Amino acid sequence: MFENRAIGLALVLPAAIFAAALFLLPVGILLSEAFRTDTGWSVSAYGEFFASSRNQTVFFRTLKLASLVAGVSAVVGYAAAFAIVNLPASSRGRMFGLVTLPLMISPVARTYAWLVILGRTGFVNKFLVDLGITDTPLRILFTETAVFIGLLQLFLPLMIISLVSAMENMPRDAVPAARILGANWLQVFWRVILPLTREGLVIGGTLVFTGSMTAYITPAILGGSKVLMLETLLYQRVTVANDFVSASVIAMILITMSFSANLLLKRLATARKSR
Amino acid sequence: MSDPATSQYVSLKDLTLAYDKTVAVDRLNLDIHKGELIALLGPSGCGKTTTMRAIAGLLTPRSGSVHIDGRDVTRVPPSRREVGLVFQSYALFPHLSVFENVAFGLRLRREPDLKAKVMEGLQTVGLTEFLDRQPADLSGGQQQRVSLARSLVMHPKVLLLDEPLSNLDARLRLEMRTELQRVQRETGITMVFVTHDQAEALALADRIVLMRNGAIEQIGTAEEIYNAPVSGFAADFMGFETILPGEAGGGLAWRPGAVVLGKGPHQGQVRGASFAGERREYVLESPFGTIKADVPISETRFEIGQQVAFDLPRESAVELARID
Repeated sequence: MFENRAIGLALVLPAAIFAAALFLLPVGILLSEAFRTDTGWSVSAYGEFFASSRNQTVFFRTLKLASLVAGVSAVVGYAAAFAIVNLPASSRGRMFGLVTLPLMISPVARTYAWLVILGRTGFVNKFLVDLGITDTPLRILFTETAVFIGLLQLFLPLMIISLVSAMENMPRDAVPAARILGANWLQVFWRVILPLTREGLVIGGTLVFTGSMTAYITPAILGGSKVLMLETLLYQRVTVANDFVSASVIAMILITMSFSANLLLKRLATARKSR
Repeated sequence: MSDPATSQYVSLKDLTLAYDKTVAVDRLNLDIHKGELIALLGPSGCGKTTTMRAIAGLLTPRSGSVHIDGRDVTRVPPSRREVGLVFQSYALFPHLSVFENVAFGLRLRREPDLKAKVMEGLQTVGLTEFLDRQPADLSGGQQQRVSLARSLVMHPKVLLLDEPLSNLDARLRLEMRTELQRVQRETGITMVFVTHDQAEALALADRIVLMRNGAIEQIGTAEEIYNAPVSGFAADFMGFETILPGEAGGGLAWRPGAVVLGKGPHQGQVRGASFAGERREYVLESPFGTIKADVPISETRFEIGQQVAFDLPRESAVELARID
């Protein structure tokens, strides 16, 4: 692009130095904490971390909730995206706006709204008691269910946006063509829509999974200390116990899981493609 | 052709089709014969594509019914109608090879003789060497032939084609036209194609259904419509450029070639002149309005701005029942 490569390099350099000195280096130092002991380098901190049954619970809960949120948002997202793409152009923009509207509201405000809705005297419990489905209000807040609901609402729009843009790139008549060739809706989905929107699913899935795994506000407010996730545990280790080693270990685990999730999803996508 | 099993092979009865609040087709009645090649012809927005989509089942009628081979399929989903549709965009599956595209419907049907059937389909359209290619590697004409093969291997009762020639260049268009006629002759399949191009409809179709504003303007063989359009609209669509009102709401229409230039009782001024190979085309401004004429290249040449005598001979005019 540039006649002289040096000019290009010179333009990139400030940003590169900035990122290296103020981001990569501190992160490196922080993470190296998890491998340093009094006697030298070791991975023993990981062994100790996973030896605790509470930490194991938190780890698997985080993995489970993040996967569940990603999975459910994929199912709900496909239905919503398909409906939006098939709307007439005029109402499509409006629906798309409604879907993305939550992204413009602070997650703190949104999560506090869930406190009101899911609380003992909240909307959901009042509804259930009034209908006689349950005698005493259900305990929803500070359970995994509450965290799941909060995370799903937080990240579903990202899945829908990814899938809508993937579906808009499908050839216009691919779905009717499959219908006419004898495919029922399930077959249309598996044989046409899914393979043609797989990139969108990978992007949406990665965003939702890593987002759910690394979210702090939602599990902190809706789960509290009863339903710790890795991110809330990390915060607790630092502020309550001043335990930077565990915090580094958790940070390392979160980074590794994010990368693996992305790699795994990409692998899944290409495996189906090369078939 | 009086046997309803063949004369009403595809039958549309009082079909009304609408998108939201706009009525696209209004109480249309049409019988298509078995083995016929029929063209739905008309300008954009006349309802021809909508009608075709209703036959395929992609659109549920607001009222009226669709019958195929004696069965009322109005509420039958497209997957169980046994129709084929070659989309204007071809609508090949970009993630599947040519072979898999053609095999798509057969696989769903669990066809035991899959490979042979697919090869037979590709042979019909002359694309056997392309079976491992991806659709993106094919030219538009080749993609269309894959789309045609994909529909033909299913042996549909009716094959629908949406503007089958409009995306092709002139040379391919002629080739595909011949191809479609050959396939129709060899398979005897009932074909309905949609077009806005009268030349295409005239060249291909056994019968033409001329549509206008969601209704049928005229049905007939190519020659019938070409030689005896019923209205000013039909005449205009069939290439009659000069249409003048006659007695009792009727009218008279002349093709450009029927107008005599250089002699006659009327006077007009040449506004435009263009060379068209064998003939020269003129646009005249006259007391009757704009007159389009073309004359053999060998005749006297007129210049723009020149006053020219012309005649609209009564005997070479076509009489129209309606002028609108």
